[in-house]
Amino acid sequence: MKISQSSGIPIYQQIADYFRTEILEGKYQQGEYLPSIRGLAKDLKISVITTIKAYEQLETEGLVTAVQGKGYYVNAQDAEMLQEQHRRKVEDALMEAIKYARIAGMSDGEVTATLETLLEFEEG
Amino acid sequence: MNTQAVISCDNIEKQYKNFALKVDHLEFPKGFATALIGENGAGKTTLLEIIAGLRLEHKGEVTYFDQYNEEDRENNPIVKNKIGYTGTSNYFLPAWNLNQTKAVQKLLFENFDGDKYDAILRDLALTSGDAFEGDKKVSNLSDGNRTKLMLAGVLARDTELLLMDEPASPLDPLMRDKLCNLIHDYIASSEGEKSVIFSTHNIADMENVTDYAIFVENGRVVEQGFVEELKEKYIYVKGDAEDEAAVAPHLFDMSKGKYGFEGLVLAENIDKLAGYDLIRETPTLMQLSVGIMRANTKLGAGIR
Repeated sequence: MKISQSSGIPIYQQIADYFRTEILEGKYQQGEYLPSIRGLAKDLKISVITTIKAYEQLETEGLVTAVQGKGYYVNAQDAEMLQEQHRRKVEDALMEAIKYARIAGMSDGEVTATLETLLEFEEG
Repeated sequence: MNTQAVISCDNIEKQYKNFALKVDHLEFPKGFATALIGENGAGKTTLLEIIAGLRLEHKGEVTYFDQYNEEDRENNPIVKNKIGYTGTSNYFLPAWNLNQTKAVQKLLFENFDGDKYDAILRDLALTSGDAFEGDKKVSNLSDGNRTKLMLAGVLARDTELLLMDEPASPLDPLMRDKLCNLIHDYIASSEGEKSVIFSTHNIADMENVTDYAIFVENGRVVEQGFVEELKEKYIYVKGDAEDEAAVAPHLFDMSKGKYGFEGLVLAENIDKLAGYDLIRETPTLMQLSVGIMRANTKLGAGIR
Protein backbone atom coordinates (compact mmCIF):
# COMPACT_ATOMS: atom_id res chain seq x y z
CA MET A 1 0.00 0.00 0.00
CA LYS A 2 1.30 3.43 -0.91
CA ILE A 3 0.15 6.39 1.13
CA SER A 4 0.54 9.89 -0.27
CA GLN A 5 0.73 12.80 2.14
CA SER A 6 0.08 15.40 -0.54
CA SER A 7 -2.44 13.88 -2.94
CA GLY A 8 -5.33 15.87 -1.51
CA ILE A 9 -7.10 12.63 -0.62
CA PRO A 10 -7.18 12.26 3.17
CA ILE A 11 -4.88 9.52 4.43
CA TYR A 12 -7.69 7.64 6.19
CA GLN A 13 -9.56 7.62 2.87
CA GLN A 14 -6.58 6.12 1.07
CA ILE A 15 -6.34 3.36 3.66
CA ALA A 16 -10.08 2.65 3.58
CA ASP A 17 -9.98 2.55 -0.24
CA TYR A 18 -7.11 0.10 -0.18
CA PHE A 19 -8.73 -2.34 2.23
CA ARG A 20 -12.14 -1.99 0.56
CA THR A 21 -10.61 -3.12 -2.73
CA GLU A 22 -8.75 -5.93 -1.01
CA ILE A 23 -11.91 -7.14 0.69
CA LEU A 24 -14.13 -6.85 -2.38
CA GLU A 25 -11.54 -8.69 -4.44
CA GLY A 26 -11.70 -11.51 -1.92
CA LYS A 27 -8.13 -11.13 -0.65
CA TYR A 28 -9.49 -11.25 2.89
CA GLN A 29 -11.56 -14.24 3.92
CA GLN A 30 -14.74 -13.90 5.91
CA GLY A 31 -13.84 -13.69 9.60
CA GLU A 32 -10.24 -12.76 8.90
CA TYR A 33 -8.89 -9.83 10.91
CA LEU A 34 -7.50 -6.68 9.33
CA PRO A 35 -4.00 -5.73 10.53
CA SER A 36 -4.00 -4.43 14.11
CA ILE A 37 -4.72 -0.72 14.40
CA ARG A 38 -1.47 0.17 16.12
CA GLY A 39 0.61 -2.24 14.05
CA LEU A 40 -0.69 -0.69 10.84
CA ALA A 41 -0.11 2.83 12.15
CA LYS A 42 3.48 1.91 12.94
CA ASP A 43 4.09 0.24 9.57
CA LEU A 44 2.59 3.14 7.61
CA LYS A 45 4.16 5.76 9.90
CA ILE A 46 0.84 7.45 10.50
CA SER A 47 -1.08 8.20 13.66
CA VAL A 48 -3.22 5.55 15.35
CA ILE A 49 -6.31 7.71 15.12
CA THR A 50 -6.02 7.88 11.33
CA THR A 51 -6.07 4.07 11.06
CA ILE A 52 -9.03 3.91 13.41
CA LYS A 53 -10.89 6.39 11.24
CA ALA A 54 -10.18 4.29 8.13
CA TYR A 55 -11.42 1.11 9.81
CA GLU A 56 -14.49 2.88 11.19
CA GLN A 57 -15.39 3.96 7.69
CA LEU A 58 -15.19 0.33 6.50
CA GLU A 59 -17.37 -0.61 9.46
CA THR A 60 -20.01 1.98 8.47
CA GLU A 61 -19.98 0.52 4.99
CA GLY A 62 -20.75 -2.88 6.49
CA LEU A 63 -17.51 -4.46 5.27
CA VAL A 64 -16.00 -5.20 8.67
CA THR A 65 -17.14 -5.59 12.26
CA ALA A 66 -15.31 -4.23 15.30
CA VAL A 67 -14.68 -6.47 18.28
CA GLN A 68 -13.71 -4.69 21.48
CA GLY A 69 -10.08 -5.40 22.25
CA LYS A 70 -9.58 -7.70 19.26
CA GLY A 71 -9.79 -5.52 16.21
CA TYR A 72 -11.79 -5.55 13.01
CA TYR A 73 -12.79 -8.73 11.15
CA VAL A 74 -14.13 -9.01 7.64
CA ASN A 75 -17.84 -9.68 7.21
CA ALA A 76 -19.35 -12.13 4.80
CA GLN A 77 -19.59 -10.23 1.55
CA ASP A 78 -23.04 -10.64 0.10
CA ALA A 79 -22.73 -9.35 -3.44
CA GLU A 80 -26.42 -8.53 -3.72
CA MET A 81 -26.44 -6.66 -0.43
CA LEU A 82 -23.39 -4.66 -1.44
CA GLN A 83 -25.01 -3.67 -4.67
CA GLU A 84 -28.14 -2.69 -2.79
CA GLN A 85 -26.04 -0.51 -0.48
CA HIS A 86 -24.43 1.22 -3.40
CA ARG A 87 -27.79 1.78 -5.06
CA ARG A 88 -29.02 3.43 -1.90
CA LYS A 89 -25.97 5.69 -1.88
CA VAL A 90 -26.69 6.71 -5.46
CA GLU A 91 -30.27 7.54 -4.49
CA ASP A 92 -29.12 9.58 -1.49
CA ALA A 93 -26.66 11.54 -3.59
CA LEU A 94 -29.27 12.22 -6.26
CA MET A 95 -31.77 13.37 -3.62
CA GLU A 96 -29.13 15.80 -2.41
CA ALA A 97 -28.64 17.02 -5.98
CA ILE A 98 -32.40 17.48 -6.43
CA LYS A 99 -32.52 19.49 -3.22
CA TYR A 100 -29.93 21.92 -4.54
CA ALA A 101 -31.58 21.99 -7.96
CA ARG A 102 -34.80 23.19 -6.30
CA ILE A 103 -32.91 25.89 -4.42
CA ALA A 104 -31.31 27.02 -7.66
CA GLY A 105 -34.72 26.97 -9.38
CA MET A 106 -33.67 24.47 -12.05
CA SER A 107 -36.40 22.74 -14.03
CA ASP A 108 -36.67 18.95 -14.10
CA GLY A 109 -35.54 19.02 -17.70
CA GLU A 110 -32.42 20.97 -16.78
CA VAL A 111 -31.60 18.51 -13.99
CA THR A 112 -31.84 15.46 -16.24
CA ALA A 113 -29.92 17.29 -18.96
CA THR A 114 -27.15 18.04 -16.45
CA LEU A 115 -27.06 14.42 -15.36
CA GLU A 116 -26.88 13.23 -18.95
CA THR A 117 -24.07 15.66 -19.74
CA LEU A 118 -22.15 14.46 -16.70
CA LEU A 119 -22.68 10.82 -17.66
CA GLU A 120 -21.40 11.50 -21.16
CA PHE A 121 -18.46 13.39 -19.72
CA GLU A 122 -17.63 10.46 -17.44
CA GLU A 123 -17.82 7.97 -20.33
CA GLY A 124 -15.98 10.16 -22.77
CA MET B 1 -14.96 8.14 20.23
CA ASN B 2 -15.13 6.19 23.46
CA THR B 3 -11.81 5.87 25.17
CA GLN B 4 -10.50 5.25 28.64
CA ALA B 5 -8.25 7.75 30.33
CA VAL B 6 -4.66 6.94 31.23
CA ILE B 7 -4.44 10.19 33.19
CA SER B 8 -7.25 12.42 34.42
CA CYS B 9 -6.72 15.83 35.95
CA ASP B 10 -9.36 17.49 38.08
CA ASN B 11 -9.42 21.07 39.34
CA ILE B 12 -5.69 21.50 38.91
CA GLU B 13 -4.42 24.90 39.97
CA LYS B 14 -0.89 26.11 40.23
CA GLN B 15 -0.23 29.73 41.00
CA TYR B 16 2.93 31.57 40.08
CA LYS B 17 3.70 35.25 40.39
CA ASN B 18 2.53 36.27 36.94
CA PHE B 19 0.93 33.11 35.75
CA ALA B 20 -1.65 30.59 36.86
CA LEU B 21 -2.34 27.14 35.47
CA LYS B 22 -5.97 26.21 35.84
CA VAL B 23 -7.40 22.96 34.48
CA ASP B 24 -10.91 21.97 35.54
CA HIS B 25 -11.04 18.57 33.96
CA LEU B 26 -8.72 16.95 31.45
CA GLU B 27 -8.37 13.37 30.29
CA PHE B 28 -5.51 11.87 28.32
CA PRO B 29 -6.75 8.94 26.21
CA LYS B 30 -5.27 5.52 26.96
CA GLY B 31 -3.49 3.72 24.12
CA PHE B 32 -2.74 6.88 22.14
CA ALA B 33 -0.07 9.53 21.69
CA THR B 34 -1.19 12.94 22.95
CA ALA B 35 0.55 16.19 22.08
CA LEU B 36 0.47 19.24 24.34
CA ILE B 37 0.68 22.28 22.09
CA GLY B 38 0.95 25.92 23.07
CA GLU B 39 3.12 28.99 23.26
CA ASN B 40 6.18 29.28 25.42
CA GLY B 41 5.01 29.89 28.96
CA ALA B 42 1.50 28.57 28.25
CA GLY B 43 1.77 25.96 31.00
CA LYS B 44 2.64 22.76 29.14
CA THR B 45 5.72 21.97 31.17
CA THR B 46 4.01 22.83 34.45
CA LEU B 47 1.18 20.44 33.60
CA LEU B 48 3.59 17.66 32.60
CA GLU B 49 5.63 18.18 35.74
CA ILE B 50 2.54 18.01 37.94
CA ILE B 51 1.58 14.73 36.29
CA ALA B 52 5.13 13.40 36.56
CA GLY B 53 5.28 14.36 40.23
CA LEU B 54 8.02 16.95 39.91
CA ARG B 55 5.73 19.67 41.25
CA LEU B 56 4.00 18.40 44.32
CA GLU B 57 2.63 21.76 45.46
CA HIS B 58 -0.60 22.33 43.60
CA LYS B 59 -4.34 22.18 44.03
CA GLY B 60 -6.50 19.46 42.54
CA GLU B 61 -6.05 15.80 41.76
CA VAL B 62 -4.36 13.65 39.19
CA THR B 63 -5.61 10.09 38.65
CA TYR B 64 -3.28 7.51 37.13
CA PHE B 65 -4.41 4.48 35.14
CA ASP B 66 -7.97 5.09 36.32
CA GLN B 67 -7.22 3.92 39.86
CA TYR B 68 -4.17 5.49 41.50
CA ASN B 69 -3.79 8.91 43.06
CA GLU B 70 -0.69 11.03 43.51
CA GLU B 71 0.15 9.43 46.83
CA ASP B 72 0.19 6.04 45.13
CA ARG B 73 2.51 7.44 42.49
CA GLU B 74 4.94 8.46 45.22
CA ASN B 75 4.68 5.39 47.42
CA ASN B 76 3.48 2.48 45.31
CA PRO B 77 6.35 1.08 43.20
CA ILE B 78 3.84 -0.44 40.76
CA VAL B 79 2.72 3.04 39.70
CA LYS B 80 6.22 4.49 39.67
CA ASN B 81 7.49 1.67 37.48
CA LYS B 82 4.73 2.18 34.94
CA ILE B 83 5.68 5.79 34.21
CA GLY B 84 8.70 7.10 32.34
CA TYR B 85 9.55 10.82 32.18
CA THR B 86 12.01 12.83 30.11
CA GLY B 87 12.43 16.55 30.71
CA THR B 88 14.15 19.37 28.90
CA SER B 89 17.00 19.61 31.35
CA ASN B 90 19.40 16.77 31.86
CA TYR B 91 18.73 14.80 35.03
CA PHE B 92 21.95 12.82 35.02
CA LEU B 93 24.90 14.30 36.90
CA PRO B 94 27.41 15.78 34.43
CA ALA B 95 30.30 13.88 35.99
CA TRP B 96 28.70 10.48 35.44
CA ASN B 97 29.77 8.35 32.54
CA LEU B 98 27.37 6.27 30.49
CA ASN B 99 27.96 3.09 32.49
CA GLN B 100 27.14 4.96 35.66
CA THR B 101 23.87 6.27 34.23
CA LYS B 102 22.99 2.64 33.60
CA ALA B 103 23.93 1.56 37.14
CA VAL B 104 21.88 4.35 38.70
CA GLN B 105 18.77 3.57 36.70
CA LYS B 106 19.14 -0.14 37.48
CA LEU B 107 19.14 0.82 41.13
CA LEU B 108 16.14 3.14 40.83
CA PHE B 109 13.80 1.08 38.68
CA GLU B 110 13.01 -2.59 39.14
CA ASN B 111 12.09 -3.06 35.52
CA PHE B 112 15.17 -1.39 34.03
CA ASP B 113 16.78 -3.62 31.39
CA GLY B 114 20.51 -2.82 31.15
CA ASP B 115 21.07 -4.81 27.96
CA LYS B 116 18.14 -3.11 26.30
CA TYR B 117 19.60 0.26 27.40
CA ASP B 118 22.92 -0.57 25.76
CA ALA B 119 21.13 -1.77 22.64
CA ILE B 120 19.06 1.43 22.36
CA LEU B 121 22.13 3.60 22.92
CA ARG B 122 23.94 1.71 20.16
CA ASP B 123 20.94 2.06 17.90
CA LEU B 124 20.60 5.80 18.52
CA ALA B 125 24.33 6.41 18.22
CA LEU B 126 24.36 4.64 14.90
CA THR B 127 22.17 7.26 13.29
CA SER B 128 24.14 10.19 14.68
CA GLY B 129 27.52 8.72 13.84
CA ASP B 130 28.64 9.15 17.43
CA ALA B 131 30.22 6.30 19.29
CA PHE B 132 28.59 5.78 22.67
CA GLU B 133 31.34 4.45 24.85
CA GLY B 134 30.69 3.37 28.38
CA ASP B 135 33.25 5.75 29.87
CA LYS B 136 32.02 8.78 27.98
CA LYS B 137 30.92 11.49 30.39
CA VAL B 138 27.47 13.01 30.39
CA SER B 139 29.05 16.49 30.43
CA ASN B 140 30.67 15.76 27.07
CA LEU B 141 27.38 15.02 25.34
CA SER B 142 25.56 17.51 23.16
CA ASP B 143 21.99 18.54 24.06
CA GLY B 144 20.64 16.18 21.44
CA ASN B 145 22.65 13.28 22.77
CA ARG B 146 21.58 13.97 26.34
CA THR B 147 17.98 13.80 25.16
CA LYS B 148 18.78 10.47 23.50
CA LEU B 149 20.29 9.26 26.76
CA MET B 150 17.09 10.08 28.66
CA LEU B 151 14.95 8.51 25.92
CA ALA B 152 17.03 5.34 26.08
CA GLY B 153 16.57 5.32 29.85
CA VAL B 154 12.78 5.38 29.74
CA LEU B 155 12.55 3.02 26.77
CA ALA B 156 14.74 0.43 28.52
CA ARG B 157 12.06 0.10 31.19
CA ASP B 158 8.81 -1.79 30.94
CA THR B 159 6.47 1.19 31.26
CA GLU B 160 2.89 1.92 30.26
CA LEU B 161 3.07 5.69 30.06
CA LEU B 162 5.77 7.98 28.72
CA LEU B 163 5.73 11.66 29.65
CA MET B 164 8.07 13.67 27.45
CA ASP B 165 8.66 17.38 27.67
CA GLU B 166 9.80 18.74 24.29
CA PRO B 167 11.56 15.56 23.22
CA ALA B 168 11.94 16.71 19.60
CA SER B 169 13.44 20.18 20.16
CA PRO B 170 17.10 19.31 20.63
CA LEU B 171 17.08 16.58 17.98
CA ASP B 172 18.22 16.81 14.36
CA PRO B 173 15.75 15.91 11.57
CA LEU B 174 17.05 12.35 11.26
CA MET B 175 16.72 11.80 14.97
CA ARG B 176 13.22 13.36 15.04
CA ASP B 177 12.19 10.81 12.46
CA LYS B 178 13.69 8.15 14.71
CA LEU B 179 11.84 9.57 17.72
CA CYS B 180 8.56 9.20 15.80
CA ASN B 181 9.45 5.59 15.02
CA LEU B 182 10.28 4.96 18.68
CA ILE B 183 6.88 6.35 19.72
CA HIS B 184 5.15 4.25 17.05
CA ASP B 185 6.99 1.14 18.24
CA TYR B 186 6.12 1.89 21.84
CA ILE B 187 2.41 2.41 21.13
CA ALA B 188 2.31 -0.66 18.84
CA SER B 189 4.03 -2.90 21.39
CA SER B 190 0.62 -3.50 22.96
CA GLU B 191 -2.82 -3.06 21.46
CA GLY B 192 -4.10 -0.16 23.52
CA GLU B 193 -2.26 -0.39 26.85
CA LYS B 194 0.61 2.02 26.23
CA SER B 195 0.23 5.77 26.05
CA VAL B 196 2.54 8.68 25.34
CA ILE B 197 2.07 12.29 26.37
CA PHE B 198 4.51 14.81 24.96
CA SER B 199 4.74 18.55 24.59
CA THR B 200 6.12 19.94 21.36
CA HIS B 201 6.71 23.00 19.21
CA ASN B 202 7.81 20.76 16.33
CA ILE B 203 4.26 20.13 15.27
CA ALA B 204 4.88 19.33 11.62
CA ASP B 205 7.59 16.81 12.54
CA MET B 206 5.36 15.11 15.07
CA GLU B 207 2.04 15.17 13.20
CA ASN B 208 2.27 11.56 12.09
CA VAL B 209 2.48 10.29 15.65
CA THR B 210 -0.07 12.65 17.16
CA ASP B 211 -3.45 11.05 17.84
CA TYR B 212 -4.85 13.52 20.32
CA ALA B 213 -3.97 17.19 20.64
CA ILE B 214 -4.44 19.43 23.66
CA PHE B 215 -3.93 23.17 23.12
CA VAL B 216 -2.83 25.10 26.15
CA GLU B 217 -2.77 28.89 26.16
CA ASN B 218 -2.14 31.19 29.10
CA GLY B 219 -2.63 28.41 31.63
CA ARG B 220 -5.92 27.17 30.20
CA VAL B 221 -6.88 24.32 27.90
CA VAL B 222 -8.42 26.15 24.95
CA GLU B 223 -9.09 23.27 22.55
CA GLN B 224 -8.60 19.52 22.48
CA GLY B 225 -9.60 16.48 20.48
CA PHE B 226 -8.54 13.60 18.30
CA VAL B 227 -6.65 15.09 15.39
CA GLU B 228 -8.94 13.49 12.80
CA GLU B 229 -11.96 15.02 14.54
CA LEU B 230 -10.34 18.45 14.81
CA LYS B 231 -9.64 18.26 11.08
CA GLU B 232 -13.38 17.93 10.54
CA LYS B 233 -14.30 20.57 13.07
CA TYR B 234 -12.17 23.20 11.31
CA ILE B 235 -11.74 23.88 7.60
CA TYR B 236 -8.84 25.81 6.13
CA VAL B 237 -9.95 28.38 3.57
CA LYS B 238 -8.06 30.68 1.22
CA GLY B 239 -9.60 33.58 -0.62
CA ASP B 240 -8.97 36.75 -2.61
CA ALA B 241 -8.34 40.11 -0.99
CA GLU B 242 -11.64 41.58 -2.28
CA ASP B 243 -13.69 39.12 -0.16
CA GLU B 244 -11.60 39.63 2.94
CA ALA B 245 -13.82 42.11 4.80
CA ALA B 246 -17.02 40.17 4.12
CA VAL B 247 -15.57 36.80 5.08
CA ALA B 248 -13.58 37.94 8.12
CA PRO B 249 -16.46 37.88 10.67
CA HIS B 250 -17.10 34.20 9.96
CA LEU B 251 -13.51 33.04 10.29
CA PHE B 252 -12.10 31.57 13.47
CA ASP B 253 -8.68 32.89 12.63
CA MET B 254 -7.37 34.80 9.66
CA SER B 255 -4.05 35.91 8.30
CA LYS B 256 -3.87 38.50 5.55
CA GLY B 257 -1.43 38.93 2.74
CA LYS B 258 -1.06 41.25 -0.22
CA TYR B 259 -3.05 39.03 -2.59
CA GLY B 260 -5.53 37.41 -0.28
CA PHE B 261 -6.24 35.84 3.05
CA GLU B 262 -6.29 32.42 4.59
CA GLY B 263 -7.43 30.98 7.87
CA LEU B 264 -9.50 28.57 9.85
CA VAL B 265 -13.26 28.48 9.81
CA LEU B 266 -15.43 26.28 11.98
CA ALA B 267 -17.09 23.65 9.78
CA GLU B 268 -20.46 24.63 11.26
CA ASN B 269 -20.01 28.13 9.80
CA ILE B 270 -18.87 27.08 6.34
CA ASP B 271 -22.36 27.49 4.85
CA LYS B 272 -22.18 31.21 5.62
CA LEU B 273 -19.30 31.45 3.15
CA ALA B 274 -21.18 29.68 0.34
CA GLY B 275 -21.27 32.73 -1.93
CA TYR B 276 -17.55 33.44 -1.96
CA ASP B 277 -14.89 32.02 -4.21
CA LEU B 278 -12.76 30.19 -1.67
CA ILE B 279 -10.40 27.25 -1.70
CA ARG B 280 -11.26 24.79 1.06
CA GLU B 281 -8.70 22.44 2.48
CA THR B 282 -8.38 20.00 5.34
CA PRO B 283 -6.06 21.78 7.74
CA THR B 284 -2.74 20.23 8.70
CA LEU B 285 -2.03 19.94 12.41
CA MET B 286 0.38 22.84 11.97
CA GLN B 287 -2.33 25.07 10.44
CA LEU B 288 -4.75 24.04 13.17
CA SER B 289 -2.19 24.79 15.84
CA VAL B 290 -1.23 28.20 14.52
CA GLY B 291 -4.88 29.20 14.11
CA ILE B 292 -5.94 27.99 17.53
CA MET B 293 -2.89 29.46 19.22
CA ARG B 294 -3.29 32.80 17.48
CA ALA B 295 -6.98 32.99 18.34
CA ASN B 296 -6.16 32.43 22.00
CA THR B 297 -2.80 34.06 22.42
CA LYS B 298 -2.07 36.22 25.39
CA LEU B 299 -0.12 38.43 23.01
CA GLY B 300 -3.47 39.62 21.75
CA ALA B 301 -4.48 40.30 18.17
CA GLY B 302 -1.38 42.40 17.58
CA ILE B 303 0.61 39.62 15.93
CA ARG B 304 -1.97 38.77 13.32
